Amino acid sequence: MATTAAAVITRPTTPEQASLWSDAWRRLRRNRLALASAIYLALLVVVAIVAIFHTPYSYREVGVALPYSGPSSTNWFGADILGRDVLSRLMVGAQISLIVGVGTQVLVVAVGVPIGLIAGYYKGWIDSVVSFIINVFYGIPDLLVAMILLLLLGPSLNNIIIAIVATRWMDMTRLVRGQTLALREREFIEAARASGAKPLKILFGHILPNSLGPIIVQATFGVPAAILFEAFLSFLGIGVQPPTPSWGSMAADGLAAIRIAPHMVIVPSIALSLTLMAFNFLGDGLRDALDPRQKR
Amino acid sequence: MPTPILQVKGLRTQFLTDGGIVTAVDGVSFDLFPGESLGIVGESGSGKSITALSLLRLVPDPGRIVAGQVLFHNQDLLQVSGDEIREIRGRDIAMIFQDPQSSLNPVLRTGFQIDEAMLAHDKATPKQARERTIELLRRVRIPAPETRAKDFPHQLSGGMRQRAMIAMGLANAPSILIADEPTTALDVTVQAQILELLADLNRDLGTAIVMITHNMGVVAGLCSRVLVMYAGQIVEQGPVEQIFENPQHPYTWSLLRSIPRVDALRHERLRSIEGLAPDLLRPPAGCRFHPRCPFRVEKCFTDEPLLQEVAPNQEAACWVTMERARKEMDADNMVDIRPGAGSGVHKGEITD
Repeated sequence: MATTAAAVITRPTTPEQASLWSDAWRRLRRNRLALASAIYLALLVVVAIVAIFHTPYSYREVGVALPYSGPSSTNWFGADILGRDVLSRLMVGAQISLIVGVGTQVLVVAVGVPIGLIAGYYKGWIDSVVSFIINVFYGIPDLLVAMILLLLLGPSLNNIIIAIVATRWMDMTRLVRGQTLALREREFIEAARASGAKPLKILFGHILPNSLGPIIVQATFGVPAAILFEAFLSFLGIGVQPPTPSWGSMAADGLAAIRIAPHMVIVPSIALSLTLMAFNFLGDGLRDALDPRQKR
Repeated sequence: MPTPILQVKGLRTQFLTDGGIVTAVDGVSFDLFPGESLGIVGESGSGKSITALSLLRLVPDPGRIVAGQVLFHNQDLLQVSGDEIREIRGRDIAMIFQDPQSSLNPVLRTGFQIDEAMLAHDKATPKQARERTIELLRRVRIPAPETRAKDFPHQLSGGMRQRAMIAMGLANAPSILIADEPTTALDVTVQAQILELLADLNRDLGTAIVMITHNMGVVAGLCSRVLVMYAGQIVEQGPVEQIFENPQHPYTWSLLRSIPRVDALRHERLRSIEGLAPDLLRPPAGCRFHPRCPFRVEKCFTDEPLLQEVAPNQEAACWVTMERARKEMDADNMVDIRPGAGSGVHKGEITD
């Protein structure tokens, strides 16, 4: 009876494969602010890539314009204390910011997600140890950890990334642990276990895909935090070392001359602010788009 | 008599709670024969689901299996290693759950999840797995299986999801399929279709089915043998027809009487079993059903009855049994079925 009834029903057209992701993408596109942010960030990436091959002047060449000279037709964003072209330095600085921002989050995900999954899934003593370490890391001031690490390892781009990861991995671990604690009790995990799935399969094949949304949002919010932290470290002089420009160190250089050449502070600050805002708006948009509680 | 494919002996599962130890399954023993369909019935909290989960060592966290044996192909599933039991799960003994809404992973495509069930046991290459998935979906009568396999669970109806779950359960051609209330979350017409499907699969593939349910109707429609559980113990077991026609345990008798009937008189009240299921933290002494039993005698307050043969292939754990209740206590004509009503032993007369 069921066969015949079911067989008669033919599907008129293949409906759109409305997956979680295409659904989220549709909602994200509707969010103008997030979309504008995404476009801005795409442009920033293009600029950073172009800067590998071509900048108006070399970022380290001194005396291409008069020191402290303001914006002009030859040097759009003016020149700095040594007469280096600010636009060229800004473009290279974008590379540094993106590498630091994205690089730290890649590492944070690589470290935080597995630890969080394992702590949340196995609970017991593993979870106690992980939670204890997380609390210890939260207890020590970020700046202290970063400064000590940079003093020990030396200030290079890689070490800056390592130092930031050391102060930021806990957020991701705690998020994933919480997600895992909730998801492990769900029936489909029990069903997967009942069908003989191995623990690694359950962790990475079932629990991880279900927490990807929050992980992506968290990582997106983590990027501006890392960029800001790098700028801050560079501002203090323990970040990216000269002559490599960083938005933070450029602003620091300009601070001494803020009365005679305000563009030296304003230009990198605006670039930094726009980028931070864009990442935050994008993060907000992604959170709304991926939030399973917001249906339709 | 064929040899049983699964033998459960003295299974005891406990939960360590803040209030003390709850023995959810207390000395359950039964045999499952190849190709048969066995029903386990009981009310909520009678331990039927925990019994099923214990067979595959899937008891949720504070729970521990403290005693017993589950013999499958001459090995005790309660003793084998974690890797060995994982291999058996889904390959030899598969399980389907109550709520198809939540038993499928919401972010993975349905077909992929069925593929996975095969790939987990290295039974096939991904391509072979997909072919078999389509075949299985067709077998469980899902229309347009090729496109449905690519759908996400939320794109399927409740009935279709449960069919997909059954397809997943059958993926490795298991010899036993444990169905834990597979129709409870579905509406009545879909229930009937799913039961029909299970019955067909049982007949055509020879898969033994263990059906966990609180619904006597489901048992009547699908099963050949039935275990009745009460407060963690089996109180009666036997062939379905015999149990329905001639229940010997007062609990089974009350359960059957409490099924609403279409042909009942309009003004007739629905019958229910007086009282509540016992608190398993402090189970009653003697027979666990005695606080609710209309036919209890003094012995029931103090001595625990064991399963005894009451008819061919039928066993009941009761000091009185319905045969005596009918003869001596006029059970069939009783209107008042409050505890102790038939035997005249009333509440509080014997302090336990």
